[in-house]
Amino acid sequence: MKKELNINHLTRVEGHGAVNIVFENERLKEIKLKFTEGPRFFEYITRERLYTEIPKIVSRICGICYVSHRLASISAIEDAFGAKVTPEIELLRKLLVVGEYLESHALHLYFLALPDYMGYPSTLAMAKDYPNVVKRGFLLKDVGNKIMKLIGGKTIHGENILPGGFKSVPSKEQLQKVQDDLYKVIPEIKATISLFDSFEYPKFNEKYPLSLCIDGDSFTLMGDNLALSDGTLFTKKEYELFVEEKTSTYSTAKYSTVKGKPFLIGPLSRINYHLDNLRSETKEVVSLLETSFPSDNSLHANVARAVEMLELALEGIEITQMLINSYPFKGEVEVKPKAGTGYGVKEAPRGTLYHKYTFDESGRCVSANIITPTAQLQAIIEKDLGDLVELSLDADDAELRKRAEMLIRAYDP
Amino acid sequence: MVKIGVMGLTGCSGCQCEILNCEDAIYKLLGKVEFSYFPLAQDSNSFEEFDVLFVEGSVTTDLDEEKVRKGREISKILVAIGSCACYGGVQSQRNDEVTIEEMLKEVYGTTELSVKVSKPKAVSEIVKVDYELPGCPLDKRQFVYTVAFLLNGVRPFFPKTPVCHECKLSETECLTLKGIPCQGPITFAGCGAPCTISGVGCQGCRGDCDFPNYEEMVSILKKNGLSEGDAFRFIKVFRGKQAQDGISKLISRGALNEKGA
Repeated sequence: MKKELNINHLTRVEGHGAVNIVFENERLKEIKLKFTEGPRFFEYITRERLYTEIPKIVSRICGICYVSHRLASISAIEDAFGAKVTPEIELLRKLLVVGEYLESHALHLYFLALPDYMGYPSTLAMAKDYPNVVKRGFLLKDVGNKIMKLIGGKTIHGENILPGGFKSVPSKEQLQKVQDDLYKVIPEIKATISLFDSFEYPKFNEKYPLSLCIDGDSFTLMGDNLALSDGTLFTKKEYELFVEEKTSTYSTAKYSTVKGKPFLIGPLSRINYHLDNLRSETKEVVSLLETSFPSDNSLHANVARAVEMLELALEGIEITQMLINSYPFKGEVEVKPKAGTGYGVKEAPRGTLYHKYTFDESGRCVSANIITPTAQLQAIIEKDLGDLVELSLDADDAELRKRAEMLIRAYDP
Repeated sequence: MVKIGVMGLTGCSGCQCEILNCEDAIYKLLGKVEFSYFPLAQDSNSFEEFDVLFVEGSVTTDLDEEKVRKGREISKILVAIGSCACYGGVQSQRNDEVTIEEMLKEVYGTTELSVKVSKPKAVSEIVKVDYELPGCPLDKRQFVYTVAFLLNGVRPFFPKTPVCHECKLSETECLTLKGIPCQGPITFAGCGAPCTISGVGCQGCRGDCDFPNYEEMVSILKKNGLSEGDAFRFIKVFRGKQAQDGISKLISRGALNEKGA
């Protein structure tokens, strides 16, 4: 006997998705996660455009993680032209990422994920019963937004983030204000960690075949090298050799595998890998949690997100101090185009992303390749959903649907 | 309760996120309006009828077209938000240069995707649009004003003056005079000019102001170091059909050379 379970419109996820589960004789036969998001051809609309146009165009891949796409493209452009920026510019970029993560993780935790665990249809619906929790979500988002607006020029798609650096940089007083804000949100972030640690996370999935994130001696979101959980290390230039992309017959997101296997990326992969690299204050908080890392439970990505917020807020405090100490500094170095290919990788809030561009001698883009987190997550989410169904044979359809949605949301695809 | 819907077509969800960024205003609005459809933010969504439906994104797939036609039918007022919905957005910038088949083949290796895809279009190319709030993303104050105006029976109106006007008001030094490529003279103000304040030229994300002088704009951009082809491409990034029509008119009049110089 054949039976189908469909979730036609996934809610509280960015973009448009649907799930189709087919059973035959009470056994799982097939699972398809379909992203129906219309294609936007970024690899094609960047062609013939000057390098100065590229970060602006690819920023529009994602309204939530635009900073990551911009910085990955900038890193690829600077790589192609052999441009080197100053340590202060690098610090400002890192601070920008702190803002991005606070906003994106707060949006995900408080507005997309939280209603599942509190039993409400939305966070706005929670406002009456839990005003303080909702306010905390808004506050964390707001602090992140302020940092992005200050450095990038706008909260979303800020245009001041450019190859070579920034056209203008914050004043000492503004940096001090950011630092004050970050100090103020540390207790709020710790409360967020406790809140998400207090929920029950039934395990719906089996062990991950592989996970991937950017390698480094410290917890890092930018870099030139990548690490797989099986011990393999590779460089950003080798990304396409390891991460294989295929066009899917049922989803507009491409389907990626590493060594033929689905692989995990994102907060859980990063926290699992960098557990020993976290700041001591973060480590202490982690050691007191109910949730234990490294973890193979996909729902623990929510706790990992909250932990990342703490680590990054602490980093942000250090960065603002370093920038204040080295004031005044130049925000920009000259970038001279030349023919060549450049690569950029970056940890976006939801996972690793990769940009590659080839330019002609005048700096016009000849070809581009972009691998997004959503494309890389397709395979692992489908695998998780398969595990979920196998482990939930006792559950009715409504329950199964709810579990599937929670699992997908934990990836923030 | 006034029923509001927020619907996303093909885009980056940035405008919907900007709506969620209207924190305090959303709290105040919740007493007077009800978000009866906002799948990005909530589970229980009813797509039955709306007093006001906000539409983000371009019409790129058959699903987009179906959704926006249905949305129009069941809404008293339809507002296009963001430059994708208003003009076609970044994804439409090469509509005049290449075919959709070419784009599909290059990016996906096939013209057969799981959804039917056509060239990205503005919402107004498919259904009647009552108001447009362009920008990439839309300006959140304009979103709040629009809701407030409509609640009080006033037609939302935002004058289509150029961004130059905002630079005068904020006493920002003219970037065009400093030799920086800036689209302020032909771009619809209302954003508060955050880019020029940061020292970055206006990128034209809000589309045309009233009576945009493309010919003069291209000649200024050329003076500021861009080739004619690069100037065209710079102007085209967000404006979709608007710029493609404007530029082809100039070319057919002989005022400008061919693109791609």
